[in-house]
Amino acid sequence: MSSQQVPSSLRDILADVLEISPEQITPDLSIEMVESWDSFRHLQAILAIEGEYGVQFDPQRIPELTSVSLLQSELEKKGATL
Amino acid sequence: MQNDSERQDLRRSIKDAVSKRDAVAAVKHGRDLLAVSSKPADVMFCASSFAGITDVLQDQLRAKRLKAYVVRSVTVEPVLPFLATEAVLSNYVLDLRVGGYGSYVDEMLNPRSELAKFKPDVVFVLLDLEEIAGRLPDLCAGGIGVGVEEEIEECLVRMAQLLRSFRSGNSARLLLQGLVVPDLASLGDVGEANLRHSLTNAVQRLNQKLAVLCSTIADCVFFDVDRLAARSGRARWRDARMFYASRLPLSLDSFRDYSRGLVRSFSTLFRAPRKVLCTDLDNTLWGGVLGEDGPEGIATGSAFPGNCYLDYQKYLKQLSSRGILLAIVSKNNEADVHEAFQIRSADIALSLDDFVASKISWNEKSDSIRELAHELSLGLDSFVFVDDNPVECEAIRQQLPEVAVIVTPVLEPWKLVEVLAEQPFFDAAVVTDDDVNRLNEYKSQAQRAELASSVGNRDEFLGSLGIVCTFLSALQAPLSRAVQLLAKTNQFNLTTRRHSAAEIEKFASVAGGQAVVVRVRDRFGDAGVVGLALARNEGDSCYIDSLLLSCRVIGRGIETALLAHLGEHALRTGAKRLVGEYIATKKNAPCADFYSDHGFAQRVPSEEVHSDSAFYELDLTASAPTSPKWITLEGKESNELSASAVFTS
Repeated sequence: MSSQQVPSSLRDILADVLEISPEQITPDLSIEMVESWDSFRHLQAILAIEGEYGVQFDPQRIPELTSVSLLQSELEKKGATL
Repeated sequence: MQNDSERQDLRRSIKDAVSKRDAVAAVKHGRDLLAVSSKPADVMFCASSFAGITDVLQDQLRAKRLKAYVVRSVTVEPVLPFLATEAVLSNYVLDLRVGGYGSYVDEMLNPRSELAKFKPDVVFVLLDLEEIAGRLPDLCAGGIGVGVEEEIEECLVRMAQLLRSFRSGNSARLLLQGLVVPDLASLGDVGEANLRHSLTNAVQRLNQKLAVLCSTIADCVFFDVDRLAARSGRARWRDARMFYASRLPLSLDSFRDYSRGLVRSFSTLFRAPRKVLCTDLDNTLWGGVLGEDGPEGIATGSAFPGNCYLDYQKYLKQLSSRGILLAIVSKNNEADVHEAFQIRSADIALSLDDFVASKISWNEKSDSIRELAHELSLGLDSFVFVDDNPVECEAIRQQLPEVAVIVTPVLEPWKLVEVLAEQPFFDAAVVTDDDVNRLNEYKSQAQRAELASSVGNRDEFLGSLGIVCTFLSALQAPLSRAVQLLAKTNQFNLTTRRHSAAEIEKFASVAGGQAVVVRVRDRFGDAGVVGLALARNEGDSCYIDSLLLSCRVIGRGIETALLAHLGEHALRTGAKRLVGEYIATKKNAPCADFYSDHGFAQRVPSEEVHSDSAFYELDLTASAPTSPKWITLEGKESNELSASAVFTS
């Protein structure tokens, strides 16, 4: 239940896409804190997450999912097993 | 999760290889990872891993580094890591730069644009239907076709103008992406199929015309993306949600097929196709083992599973019809093989005559391929080896890493053609007459070798060949052949500069410039256009920028005749000195002494000159090179066609 822990699968995807180390991926990490996290990386991250968990996000929600915890809770809402 | 632990292991191996800067291992494990995983995160992991070792990719694998500029009307950014990764797997390192949405006209034509400043080696033009023929869907929807053909023609005129104007100001190679045929249109499936002016038919016509347009532009290839979409399924190709939300024209599932297809298309602009296919016999050319099953027992012919092998044979025969040489490399008794081809001739689509050579023995296959390379005077990197035996395949990979290896699916013979067709080794965007005639030429080479052993004296032998050299301006001969020669000649190539068609044209058109090709025939056959030289006068010196000869004709004095031809023309246009240049590569040792053998004196290397080049000088007024007496010369006045015929004396 704790939001302190990012599931390892999500952490690894974000580390690959944003090209940062997995240790940097904390729940609080958000788009403005990472230089490489621009709108295209965001799209890449979304596609990678959708591919990994077999879910599809609502395109209108996509621009709002701007932090690790927001991504995680949206995934949980979609019923993904993290 | 067996697969997942395998993934993690491979990722660790890649990381490890990257930290040790071992490009061979990194690429091998990357290839393995992508074979078991299509997860986008893994592709991005490979992309960033490879990006960290681009220098060793170039040093250890001799990957070709290309600056690529993407001109586009749609979102391509998410695809770029896939593109970069597929490029590395095909031994390219791409420096990618992407232009703005829809600003392609300015980028391509403005000499101060970002594109121009980037100085790309290749430009990818990725425009969608809306951008290049946006009125077409509405016009086609009417069903009777008012204005449809006019719109297609207008679009073609615009694209022709764009590409030609670009070409006149920039020599970067070009890839033009075709259009994906829209899957959903208001005429419905039946109307789309039956009405001549339906959107489906209109877009297909437009694609065909764009492809023809590309073939008329130097160094330009058409990328038929619709073919890929159709193969994988048009509905699957696109993700409407992502297109509407982000203008991304591909679904995530298509990223890899798309990237692979794009790399395969632009490759033809930079690499020559391989020339020889060596096929195994047992369980490859036919089913079963000849030595055990006997000629009547092997599977080939119209009945299953023989028809799988028959189709493979037909595919080989088709490759040979455009000049790919076929050779047999098999461990068998030669007499048995001859018997099988005779007894089963009605069931085999090939005859022994279709093969340029065969190596049927119990020797190591790597030795057989080495012998073939020697006999045909071809580099090992021209060879593809096809065999069902994984041990034989691995042995070739290790002993002859330049040879491309294809393992055939012994338990699934119906995949033989598929396995061969998915490899890019024989891809060519252009086929020339010389390609088509290659089989006869290589066969006559074997006959020549026979004659050489019966005639003792070299000059006498060469005289008996009846060699005729015809000199032509490179502009008179098919320019594509000249570019092809520059691209693929390695052994007898003094500077190994891979000029584009546009650059060759420059040599031909500048005053005091020469761009000459030589066509060679003898009593055994016509070898076609086999040599090329580019030179330019500077002051009273004629500098030879490039001089090369196909390795199948070296050692017959043709190189001397070509040099003499250059010298004569240089004298006529006011030069007093011929200056040759030699840049050593891994492969061109055979021509290292070319200039000194022809009486040139080596210049003392000076500091400011590029250090890889050695320069040689010959005083033309004292000792101009002369053509060997056994060669008959033709077409010596042909250079009048080049603008260089300015007589100063």
